[in-house]
Amino acid sequence: MHKKIGKALVVGAGISGIRAALDLAETGYGVTLIDRSPHMGGVLSQLDHQFPTDRCGMCKMLPLVDRDASSQYCLRKGLFHENIEILLSTELVSVDGEPGNFQVLLRQKSNWVDPQRCIGCGECAAVCPVEVPDTFNVGFSPRKAIYLPLPHAVPNSYIIDLSACTQCGECEKICPTGAVCLSEQERKRFRILVVDDELIVRDSLKEWLEEEGFSVDMADSGAQALQKLANDTFHLMLTDIKMPGMDGVELLEKAKEDQPGMCVVMMTAYATVETAVEAMKIGAFDYLVKPFEPDKLIPMVVRIYEDLEATRGRRVEAGAVVVCGGTAYYDPSSGINPFGYKVLDGVVTSLEFERIFSGSGPSAGKLVRPGDGRPVRRVAWIHCVGSRDLQAEADFCSSICCMYAIKEARLAREKSHGEVETTLFFMDMRTFGKSFQRYRDQAESVCGVRFERGRVHSVVGDPDNGDLLIRYVDTAGKVSESRQDMVVLAVGQRPAAGSAGLAAALDLPLNSWGFGQTEPFSLTRTARQGIFLGGSFSGLKDIGESVTQASSAALAASRVIHQSGGSLALETPPAAAPRNVLREPPDMLVVLCICGGTLVQNGGGSVLIERLSVDPAVSNVTTIDKTCTSEGWEQLVELVEKHKPNRLLIGACQPYVYARKIRQLAARIGLDASLLDVVDLHLSAVRSPNDPCDPPDGFHPALRRQLAALETGLARLKHVDPVRRSALKVQQRALVVGGGIAGMSAALAIADHGYPVDMVEEQATLGGNLQWLKRTLEGEDVTALFDETRQKIDKHPLIETHCSSRILTSFGKVGHFVTTVETEGEELRTLEHGAVVLATGGKEAPTDAYGYGTSECIVTQKEFEMKWADGSLDAGKLNSVVMIQCVGSREEPRNYCSRVCCPSALKHALALQKENPEISVTILYRDMMTTGFTETYFTEARRRQVLFVQYATDNKPTVKVDGGGARVTVFEPIVGKELEIEADLVVLATGIVPNLPGKLAAAFGATIDPDGFFQEAESKWRPVDSLKEGIFACGLALSPRSVTEAIATAEAAAQRALRILCRDSLPAGKIVATVRRSLCSLCERCIDACPYQARALDANGEKVIVNAAMCQGCGECATVCPNNASVVDGFGQKQMLEIIDAAFH
Amino acid sequence: MSEFEPTIVAFFCNWCTYTAADLAGTSRLSYPHSIKIVRVMCSGMVDPKYVIKALLEGADGVIVSGCNPGDCHYINGNYKARRRIKLLKEILPQFGFEPERLRLTWIAASDGLLLSEIMQEMTEQLRALGPSEARLKMVI
Repeated sequence: MHKKIGKALVVGAGISGIRAALDLAETGYGVTLIDRSPHMGGVLSQLDHQFPTDRCGMCKMLPLVDRDASSQYCLRKGLFHENIEILLSTELVSVDGEPGNFQVLLRQKSNWVDPQRCIGCGECAAVCPVEVPDTFNVGFSPRKAIYLPLPHAVPNSYIIDLSACTQCGECEKICPTGAVCLSEQERKRFRILVVDDELIVRDSLKEWLEEEGFSVDMADSGAQALQKLANDTFHLMLTDIKMPGMDGVELLEKAKEDQPGMCVVMMTAYATVETAVEAMKIGAFDYLVKPFEPDKLIPMVVRIYEDLEATRGRRVEAGAVVVCGGTAYYDPSSGINPFGYKVLDGVVTSLEFERIFSGSGPSAGKLVRPGDGRPVRRVAWIHCVGSRDLQAEADFCSSICCMYAIKEARLAREKSHGEVETTLFFMDMRTFGKSFQRYRDQAESVCGVRFERGRVHSVVGDPDNGDLLIRYVDTAGKVSESRQDMVVLAVGQRPAAGSAGLAAALDLPLNSWGFGQTEPFSLTRTARQGIFLGGSFSGLKDIGESVTQASSAALAASRVIHQSGGSLALETPPAAAPRNVLREPPDMLVVLCICGGTLVQNGGGSVLIERLSVDPAVSNVTTIDKTCTSEGWEQLVELVEKHKPNRLLIGACQPYVYARKIRQLAARIGLDASLLDVVDLHLSAVRSPNDPCDPPDGFHPALRRQLAALETGLARLKHVDPVRRSALKVQQRALVVGGGIAGMSAALAIADHGYPVDMVEEQATLGGNLQWLKRTLEGEDVTALFDETRQKIDKHPLIETHCSSRILTSFGKVGHFVTTVETEGEELRTLEHGAVVLATGGKEAPTDAYGYGTSECIVTQKEFEMKWADGSLDAGKLNSVVMIQCVGSREEPRNYCSRVCCPSALKHALALQKENPEISVTILYRDMMTTGFTETYFTEARRRQVLFVQYATDNKPTVKVDGGGARVTVFEPIVGKELEIEADLVVLATGIVPNLPGKLAAAFGATIDPDGFFQEAESKWRPVDSLKEGIFACGLALSPRSVTEAIATAEAAAQRALRILCRDSLPAGKIVATVRRSLCSLCERCIDACPYQARALDANGEKVIVNAAMCQGCGECATVCPNNASVVDGFGQKQMLEIIDAAFH
Repeated sequence: MSEFEPTIVAFFCNWCTYTAADLAGTSRLSYPHSIKIVRVMCSGMVDPKYVIKALLEGADGVIVSGCNPGDCHYINGNYKARRRIKLLKEILPQFGFEPERLRLTWIAASDGLLLSEIMQEMTEQLRALGPSEARLKMVI
């Protein structure tokens, strides 16, 4: 248990929100994680497949260090972490205060079903008469008004969709546990008084408002109203102005004396509007002009009600706020060209396609057209729907659509065993990330996906057979037609619904398209200090980028909390050592939850008690009602304290719910948490249709299954043998290799949290590529950034820089590495550190293509940048400049996109144009990689007459040096002719190569990928980690990226390192492997089998040692061990064999 | 005489397949009640002796199910399981069991329906194969 010092708020529980919350929680902060939807996971809960594995892997985001503090099951089910409080169906109302000390107001909506009581039996949905389209399956399948928001969430409690619910009350009647509380609705508690002398007005208002669920009372005069106000509390009064006797204004005055907090709305005829306005001056909230319709009245009342609810909302304090508000997708039917969406059967969006393809989707993963159910043989994807489209007011690229379209096409091919024909219609194939290009090439060459460059004009249906006809223009300008069964629109990003409101509540600026705006050189910092952006709220990103940015935002938040006094250092209270039960015979208490009588069915309880009591290890079997409620749990705690067992088995539903309680109970009674377990009786109690109705021995199969589940639990618990493992000491300092912008940012991020950092730089000075890079495409001053960062480094008391130095060797593991550093002209130095960040950078790739080196008129982009900066390049003297992109890039052996060259070319072209508007600039490209909002510069360049000529790899341009200039020939596909361009200057974009020697990576136990970049543990879920814990990478060493993106990766890497550095020791997990030395023959098979490099021979080569912090408990070592010497806690051989035995009872 | 109801011992990995089993349960998908689910952390954790033990105990079939290739929470445990199960199928006849009694599958978290289908399918296959007689023949 850590002492929680600082608190953070994370808004949005999609993948970025989860990452940010976990990062902060793992560094010991308390986190409040909110989401306005009733489930976690954001859009990813609907997506089953992610490239490059084309599968999932989300669970790899779960903590690896101290992993028992968090849930250890599929992240799609949900998440819990000791330090995270999750509030769903919750919105942020306001944030006041300053960084380090924000007061946040939240509003949590009730879902009308008590999650504490709901057992997910589904009886309510069965009787619910309302059917509406299911949002989880993007409307393809129906659901009831009472429904499960996610089919696979845990705990999975039903909720009521109030907009669909007719409040018939059927669900409430049938619910076996009384979880549905429609009649206790909060709206009922909102009391409205209607005052009018006309009966018809009073009656119709009462009817309208009661239909909305409010409580309504009536009065026919001011006097009667005052009488009612004196006796009862009302929240809202609707009063007529013109009434005999006391008029509305007088009533308002008197009523305000009685109930000053009450909201009053005046109802007025047109003639008395002025009086109404006057009334507002003395305290009326608003007025309505008679006659009015319910659609005028109801929204106003609902707003008043919600505002009142908001003030009753929950207040939390937070040092910093991370906003991961997510994104929405373009609705093609709202555009000028909807491509037949919502008109033709078989035209779907990419998200809809994902659902069609999902095992939990409307057609259970079978590729059929929604609507007519026709099997699909031919599918086409249309790219850039709602992106890169000025007509759709989208002068941006949505960055992820190209890749998800390729993924979907590959999956369609794979799942249909190559039977489905797939075609992608695209403008530029933006494969700008690490490994994207190879994935695309493979899609074409191995999987057989067809790539068709062109622009789709329209999609029409063939009335004869329902086929879809795509009409498109290819690169040569020819109009063609393509016949398909299904057309998938690769829709782009739009700001998520409510983004503007969220931004307003947080006082954050948005960019011109409504996405979150960040500060220069940061993907996370906003104009408001202490509030940071994560994920797609600031523009759509793929998972890897979102996760990186979320970690970076977590780092920024952590910095604020730390600087405002919340120390990161964890205080571990001297936890009493759990009782040693090793020599005690098992003394087990079994508690069965009868769950209001539903779980242990009719008399089944006594049978179970009788059977379980037979086991000599079991000393007590009892039943408790509703263990999941606080009363039930207290009863259980009392029992445990009374019996003092040394093992506890609970039979209940939803075992996952108990993880946190179990840990607390274990600490309280001084037992190791592994001696307490919960087995699921609920799932086994579900009656299968195959069950015989009348079993011959009276022993119902469902009961038999429950017994088997319990006996399995007994078998596992009986043999638990908790070994006290000493936690591993952590050397709380870091090593950063490389002193470029990434290295410097990482070092600062770690040192700002109070941990010393050694920074080793090969060159004599810091800065790396910042020494020559001057400005970004957006016009930000790189030199100023460099100077500022370097000054911070120089002044920082905790950062020691070692220039002209290199790493010689390193050994050790997470928590304690020992590294030898050689500095020119100095003695060797040994550094001890707990984590290492590799920021070794990269450089412009060398080339000899296109006549480079034969003439001064052929330069690289870097040379251009340097010449431009030192003034040796005079735009006025140039008539024609040709830029050639992808020189040696995106084809073997350097088959990856370097990401920065296209924006650089635009930067240079626009700069040249600005200096000399007469100049002719031609950019020869393969695919313009202007992702995200850099697309606007591409548009601007075309507007400024920069010429773009697309070339193919099998027909590359040629450059001939001619006098002082050069002649460039290129085939121009639109005119279908070869062009010859005379150029005064040819600029080659050669891309980036990494500077990460394999030996250096290997010294720490990391690996490099085939292109020489750092091999991350998982490109999507762990993008800056090495598979071996404790080693992180950032900047160009990881993959090509811009300065801003490099800083984000650096902060992410620092954040990941801080998870380790913030602890003085690393605790071992509950399920880890050990070695029985007496049985071990030192064959070392387990060392090879361990995927986490957690095993090694000790220094003398006499025994195999397991690093308990690195071991994740997968059990590979135990399976390969020929002598049963390797044992995984909780899954030992004896346990497993007995569990198998128990399963047969 | 009621239809033969084969007993299947299912080793499900904690991450994907167990989630699918939960999903199948909460979605009220029917699968044969004679399946005994044993949760393991990873399909790579299933020692061949557990499979043989289950068959000897009287299981008519054993199913081992993990995450899809590339999906394994533990990086590559499922690949190791694949190699191991393939070899195990080779030697099962020496114990007197038909190799068809053992099956390895990959079931992703959202594939509750697939899980239910595979279970039904396996039950049908085992019905065709008949009860495992090896236990009767063998005395250990």
